[in-house]
Amino acid sequence: MGKLDNQPQRFFQDEDTGYPQGDAIKQQIDVRNRRGLWWRIFFMLALLMAIASLVALLATIVNDAFGYVVVINREDPERLALDVVAMQLLSASNTLTSEDDNELADGVAANPNGIGFFGNAYYQQNRDRLKLVAIDGDLPNEETALSGAYPLVRPLFLYTTADILSNNQAANVFMNYLLTNVNAEIEQVGYLPTSQEDLTFSQRNWIRANANLGLQPGQWAAINPSGILGNFTIAGSSTVYPLTDHMLAAYQAAGYEGVYNNQSVGTTAGIAAFCDGKADIAAASRPIQSGEFEVCRKNGRFPQEFRVGTDALAVVVNAQNDFVTNLTQEELQQVFTIAQTWADVNPAWPDEPIYRFIPGADSGTLDFFTDAVYDARLSDLSKEELARLLATNISVGRGRALEREQRFFENALLFESPDLWNEVCAQPPAARPTGCTAPVRSRDNIYDLLMTEVVKPDVVKTYTLLNSVLNRRAIQAEAAESYPNGDLEFRAWVNRDFVTNAQSSTPELAGVRTAILGSLFVIAVTIIFSFPVGVGAAIYLEEYAADNRLNRLLQTNINNLAGVPSIIYGMLGLAIFVRALESFTSGAAFGEVTDPTTANGRTILSAGLTLGLLILPLLIINAQEALRAVPNSLRQAGLALGATKWQTTWHHVLPVALPGILTGTILAVSRAIGETAPLVVVGASTFIALDPSGPFSKFTTLPIQIYQWTSRPQAEFRNIAAAAILVLLVMLLALNATAVFLRNRYSVRM
Amino acid sequence: MTNTVHSNGHIAIQANNMHVYYGNFRAVKDITLQFPSHQISALIGPSGCGKSTVLRSFNRMNDLVATARVEGEVLYHNHNIYDAGVDPVEVRRHIGMVFQKPNPFPKSIYENVAWGARVNGFKGNMDDLVESALRQAALWDEVKDKLDQSGYSLSGGQQQRLCIARTIAVKPEIILMDEPTSALDPVATLKIEELIQELKKSYTIIIVTHNMQQAARASDYTAFFNMDEDRAGYLEEYNETNELFTNPKNELTEQYITGRFG
Repeated sequence: MGKLDNQPQRFFQDEDTGYPQGDAIKQQIDVRNRRGLWWRIFFMLALLMAIASLVALLATIVNDAFGYVVVINREDPERLALDVVAMQLLSASNTLTSEDDNELADGVAANPNGIGFFGNAYYQQNRDRLKLVAIDGDLPNEETALSGAYPLVRPLFLYTTADILSNNQAANVFMNYLLTNVNAEIEQVGYLPTSQEDLTFSQRNWIRANANLGLQPGQWAAINPSGILGNFTIAGSSTVYPLTDHMLAAYQAAGYEGVYNNQSVGTTAGIAAFCDGKADIAAASRPIQSGEFEVCRKNGRFPQEFRVGTDALAVVVNAQNDFVTNLTQEELQQVFTIAQTWADVNPAWPDEPIYRFIPGADSGTLDFFTDAVYDARLSDLSKEELARLLATNISVGRGRALEREQRFFENALLFESPDLWNEVCAQPPAARPTGCTAPVRSRDNIYDLLMTEVVKPDVVKTYTLLNSVLNRRAIQAEAAESYPNGDLEFRAWVNRDFVTNAQSSTPELAGVRTAILGSLFVIAVTIIFSFPVGVGAAIYLEEYAADNRLNRLLQTNINNLAGVPSIIYGMLGLAIFVRALESFTSGAAFGEVTDPTTANGRTILSAGLTLGLLILPLLIINAQEALRAVPNSLRQAGLALGATKWQTTWHHVLPVALPGILTGTILAVSRAIGETAPLVVVGASTFIALDPSGPFSKFTTLPIQIYQWTSRPQAEFRNIAAAAILVLLVMLLALNATAVFLRNRYSVRM
Repeated sequence: MTNTVHSNGHIAIQANNMHVYYGNFRAVKDITLQFPSHQISALIGPSGCGKSTVLRSFNRMNDLVATARVEGEVLYHNHNIYDAGVDPVEVRRHIGMVFQKPNPFPKSIYENVAWGARVNGFKGNMDDLVESALRQAALWDEVKDKLDQSGYSLSGGQQQRLCIARTIAVKPEIILMDEPTSALDPVATLKIEELIQELKKSYTIIIVTHNMQQAARASDYTAFFNMDEDRAGYLEEYNETNELFTNPKNELTEQYITGRFG
C-alpha cells in the first residue's frame, strides 16, 4: 500500500476482501441511498399531511368565525339612544311642544326669547315674523342642501305597497301624478326638489306595481287623472303635509273626482296607521324603521319607499332677536337641552331664559333633529338613562320579574311598588326573590338587558368567510332582496365584545368572558395544586427513593395513570371532590358560602383539583425526565463540598432541570386547558352569566362552552363556537408563550 | 509488601482491612493503607483494579451508589468514618474531592467558590474567602475581573482549577483527586501538577492517576493496585514514590511500571 501514489487503480481492484469491488461499490451505495430517499419522502409526506390537516382545520374555524351577516334589530340601538336625547329635549325647561308646526311658528313669533325648528315650508310662510339662524355659517338653501354643508337636510318619503297601488286606482294615479309633477311644484311649498336619480328610483317602484302597463325601467308615462273616482287616505308627517296637501289640490284640479283624507299626525303615528291598514299612504319625514317594517310585514303590508322631496329644517328665532345669527352644532345641542338662559350658551348673550318650541314626541322632525344634531350611542349612556330606556320599552310584568331577580337601584324601585316589595321581601329567605338580597345591577348588566330585551338583534342569515369574499355582490343582492329591513354587515364573530361579554342565550350577544375567567381560575387551581405536588413527587422518586419493590410499583402506576382516559378522572373528581369533600370544595367548611345549594361541590376548586389529578402523572413523568437529564457530576460536585442532599438538589439540580420541568408543565397544562369530558362529569354549569368570584364559584370553561354551542341547532351558534375556538387557541398560545418566556428567562446556561 | 509509611509520623487517613462491595460483587478486597499528612500520595494500577473505588471510599462518595457497601474501617482522626452516627456530609466537609472531568456549577465563578462555604455555614468575610481560595488555586489573576461570569466560560484547565478552588474554600484537611488531569491538555495538566505541589503545604492530597509519569513526577508516595483472578482489586505494593519506581519489591509492580501490562 506504500506505493499507492503510483498505482491508484489497485485501490479499486483489490483481491477478494468480502466487500463489493469496482463498479459494484457504486451500485451498492446507490441502493443504500435510494432506500434512505424513500424513507425521506415518506416522512416528508407524513409531515405535509399533518400540516395540511392543521391548516384545513384552522381554515374551517376561520371560515365560520368571520363573514357577512344580516342583522335585524327589533329596535335600532342608535334610535334608542336618540330617544334618550329626545326625552331630554322634551323635558327641558320652558319647552312647548306641538305636532302642528303652525303653533311652533306662532310661538316663536310671539316670544322675543323664543327659538324653534320645523320644516322649511313653515318658515317660508312666516318669514316676515321669524329670523333664520345659520348653522356653522350656512343657511338652508338648495345649494347648501345638495352639497351637504347645511346639516339639517332630510329626505321626505311616501310609503305604500304594490298591493294598494294595484287595488286602489285613486291612490295609484295620485302616486303617478305626484311622481310626474312633484319636482316642478315642490318649491312653491318651500321644500327642495329630489335628485333625478332618486326620483327615477321611485318611479321604478311605481312601474313595478303597474306591470300591466308594460313600461320598461327608465320609461315613464303620465296618467291623466281626469275622471278618476275612489277614495284614499294619507297619514303621517306634518312636515310632508304641506307638500301632499299642495299635490292633492293640484290632483283635484287636474280632474280627480274622488274624496281624499290627508292627516297630519306625525311620522310615527302615520306609519303605525298605515301598517294597521288605516291609511293607504304613509307620509314620513324619516326612513321607516326596522321595527316598524317588521310590524307592517306581519300585517301583510310590504312597504315600498318613494322619495318625493327634500326638506331643509329651519332653525328660527324671533324677528326681534338681534344676537343669534349663527349657531355651532355644539351650541345648538345646548340650546335645546341643558342651557337655561342664552348666557349659558354664550356669555356674550343676554341672561334671559330660552323659550323653546319644538315638535312633539310623535314627530319625525324631532327624531331627525336629534339624529342630525346629537351624537348619541347606547354604549355612552349612563346607568340611569339605560334603566329609563329599559323601563319605557319593556312591559311592566317583565320589568317586575327582572327587578325581583336583581334590583336596578339601591334606593329606588323601577317597576315594583315599594309596599309590595317590602311585603315580598318580608317573606322567609327561601320564599323571597333573589332581588331582596342580591347586589344591584351594574350599568353593564342593564346595557345587556336592554340589548336582549329591547334591541333583540337577530342574525337572520350568515355567510361563511369564503363565500363573503368570493360572492360579495351576490350576497349584497340577496340581502337587499330578501331582507330589505336588515343590515348587511361584515362581522368578525370574535371581537372585543365577544371576549368581554358574559354568556347569553342569544348568540348575537353571547360572549366568552365568563368562560375565559372560568378557564383561568380552574387552570390556576390546577397549577397551584399539581405543580408543587408533581415536582415534589418527581424529586422524591428521582433523588431520594431507594430502588425497592414499593417504589418500582409506584413508578409503574404513575406511568400507567398517564394513559387513563380523562373521563375516569372526571368520575374520580365527582366521587372525591364533589361528593366526599363537598364541605371543603363548596367552601362551606370555611364559612365562605351563604347558600350551599347553589354550587354544592361543583366548584372551580373541584374542577381545578380534578384537572390537577389528571395532569399529575404527566407532570411527574416529565419532571422525572428533566431531573434524570441533569448530569450526575453536578450532584457529586455539590455533595463533595459537604452540602446536604437537599441543598444540592435545591441549589443545583432543580435549577438545571427547571427548563425541562417547565416544558413538561406547559404540555400538561395545555392539555388541561382543552379538557372537556372530566369537567362535564364534575359538573360544569351549562349556563352561567355571573363571573366566577373565587374558588367556590360555579364554573364553566371555554371548551365546555364550545362543546355546548356546537350542539345547538341554530347556525349562529356554530359561528360563535368557531370564534370561541379561536379565543381558546389564542389563550393557549399566550399561556405557552408566557411559559416559554419564563423558561428562557430562568434557564441556566450549562 | 509494605503498607505503612512513616515520613513525619502524622497519618491523615488510613484504611484497615477495607473491602468494598457492589451488591454481591467484591470490587476491592482487604486494603490496609496509611496516608501521611501534607504529602501527595498517588494511586496507580491497571483499569478496573478499583483505585477510584478506594479513593471514593475515603469520603463516602460510594454511598451515592445504592448497592455499594464497605467493610472494614477507614480511620480519620481515629474515628471510623463508616461508624453508625457519622454523617457523610460532615466527612465530605473535611475530605474534599476533585473529579475527573471539570464540573463547575452552572453559576458565576464567585458563586462556584462561595456556595460550598455558604451551605456549610461559613460566617467570615465571603469576598476574602473567595479571593484566597482562588489565589491558592492559582486562578485569581485570570478571573478577578470576571467573577460574575459563568464558570462555564472558562477553559477546561481553568475550570478544573476552579473546582479545586471551591474545594479549598470549605477548608478541608484532605483533598481526593480522581484523575484530575485526564480530560486536560498537557499545558493545563502541568499547571495542575504545579498547583498540587503548592497545595501539599496546606493539605493532604491523594490522587488517582492513569499516568505513571505523573505519579512519578508529582507524588511523594505511590500505591500500586492490581486485580485478582476474581476481579477484585487489591493493594500490590505501597512505598515512597522514588523507591517504588526505582526499586520495586514486587515483580508485578515492576512489570506494570515498565509498561509490560496495564
